[in-house]
Amino acid sequence: MGSHLDLALLRKLGRGELSRSERWNLVRHLLSGCRQCIKLTARLLMPGGGAAREDLDYASSFARVKVDLERRQIDLATETDAALGLLRELLAEPFDRQRLLVAGDPRFRSWVLCEQLLETAHEAGFEDPIRALELARLGTEMAERLDPAAYGAAQLKDLAARAWAALGNAERIRSDFQAADNCFQKAEQLLKAGTGDPLEKARLYLLKISLLGAQQRFPEAFRLLDRVVTIGRKWKEPQLCGKALIARGLLCALADQQESVHRLLAEGLQLVDPAVEPRLVVCARHNLVVHLVEIGRYPEALHLLEETRPLYDRLKDRMNLLRLRWLEGKIALAQGDFKQAETLLLEVRRELIGQEIGYDAALASLDLARIYARQGRTHDMRPLAEEILEVFRSRQIPRETLTALIIFQKAAELEGVTVGLVHELSEYLQRAQKTSGPRFRATS
Amino acid sequence: MATLDHPELRESLNTLLKNSRPKLERVLRNFEIPPEDAEDILQDAQLTLLYKWDKIRSPESWLIGTVKKKCIMYWRKRRGSLCEAVDTAILDLLAMPQAPDQEKKDLTCDLNRVLGRLSTRCRSLLKLRYGLGYGPTEVAEQMGYRTSSIRKVTNRCLAALTRQLLAVGFQKEVIALEEEPQDG
Repeated sequence: MGSHLDLALLRKLGRGELSRSERWNLVRHLLSGCRQCIKLTARLLMPGGGAAREDLDYASSFARVKVDLERRQIDLATETDAALGLLRELLAEPFDRQRLLVAGDPRFRSWVLCEQLLETAHEAGFEDPIRALELARLGTEMAERLDPAAYGAAQLKDLAARAWAALGNAERIRSDFQAADNCFQKAEQLLKAGTGDPLEKARLYLLKISLLGAQQRFPEAFRLLDRVVTIGRKWKEPQLCGKALIARGLLCALADQQESVHRLLAEGLQLVDPAVEPRLVVCARHNLVVHLVEIGRYPEALHLLEETRPLYDRLKDRMNLLRLRWLEGKIALAQGDFKQAETLLLEVRRELIGQEIGYDAALASLDLARIYARQGRTHDMRPLAEEILEVFRSRQIPRETLTALIIFQKAAELEGVTVGLVHELSEYLQRAQKTSGPRFRATS
Repeated sequence: MATLDHPELRESLNTLLKNSRPKLERVLRNFEIPPEDAEDILQDAQLTLLYKWDKIRSPESWLIGTVKKKCIMYWRKRRGSLCEAVDTAILDLLAMPQAPDQEKKDLTCDLNRVLGRLSTRCRSLLKLRYGLGYGPTEVAEQMGYRTSSIRKVTNRCLAALTRQLLAVGFQKEVIALEEEPQDG
């Protein structure tokens, strides 16, 4: 143990790069009590073991970082100038060709282009869910091909995590919850290897919370929401806190905790800037209307709906407008205007099927079934029941829910569906959507 | 839409970096980050800020908070590397069948000298680990800790051992945490 430790060796230790025998020698030497080497090790590896605080001079560190950052700003500005044209060029191509371009043409590998692609995918989620899925997938492929030397390895992991979360969200919109789950797992793995930015984590959590809500995994969703709120408060991001309040309101509505829904959505809306997050504002107000309808406060619901209508029209998001029509159909149904309700619901269902949003199409069909049951139209009920069962059968739903739907379909087949049965099934499925595993009893 | 697509945004980033420099220097100094490593921390934080500029509403507090977090991670990683090296090296040293008796005797003596400065609980835990060669589950059973928490407790004791090995102090609050394992 005669030879002293040198700085290079200790730096390697700090980076966890020492071989077993090097570690062995180093620790044995320290254990022997060599004061000189203990001091050197302490200086490198322990706070308090080095130079006095006032002697630490960071001027050259700041100077070098400034030069590097200025270079990267110029690169980024150049990328930004080119990105819009590249995005147009890319979006004009069919999906397969887009993938080939991203894989083979270096022009289509830039940070800014990838971000713009992901934002386009997000916006497409409100217009065209299939397109959103393709764009988000392209985003993941682009993020994985970007050069770590140019952008920073950890920063790229963050971007890739964002891309996978966008893909997970697109899968969630299309009701493929299993695929969405896989995407979020991948996103979280990437984020762990990223910069550790808590805001990136919070944004991912917010998207995942939507999925957990749709899957009725409420305890997990609420736990994650608490973490988002903690991050929002700690990092002074009121907008994030507002989003978290709205998300909590939406979750409470799904989890049948109706007493908090109105307050949470209203408080959240106060913190969110409509100029920055117009879609979130529409979503929150929309859900506030849904809540008011569910608790039977129709005049208030209609008033808020009319107040929000200009925002729906301004954004012109196809999916939001579709959900607006669905909501109007539900209100018409609740108020006994069956003709208007049927027209609206048929239109909504047709468009949802066209968008391959099976789960929602089935839910819209259930609203239609309520009309048919009330009007005694058993012949219309039969194909509807088969269609609903088919959609739910292809999803991951509790066995009891499936059993309830089979009973419903068999009853329709025998033209034995009564108002009571549809009513019970509707109530049951609404509860099943909000809570996990209620008991279904076909009393009719 | 994208990051820094307007000159005024670039300008505001540069102003922010200029204005926050005294605070950042204070953070680096408080954490006693060696200047040669401060550059990596600053570059990483500022690069992330550059790429996420349009997604961060309170950039200054984000930047200061991020640099603080990276300083904590910096020392955690360094201490972790050292603790791990100390642990595996001691286990290797003790397990070497071909080591001469005198060498083993010297090692045990040196090790006992360092262990003697630790709290009773840490000493007992590490003696089970090094003296009797117990694995984590056995250590947990012997000392009445939950299996799920034994890794954390062992790491605290290893950190205390490493600190004593180097005979320098961590920050006081860290010492308190390490010397009195709370789980179990």
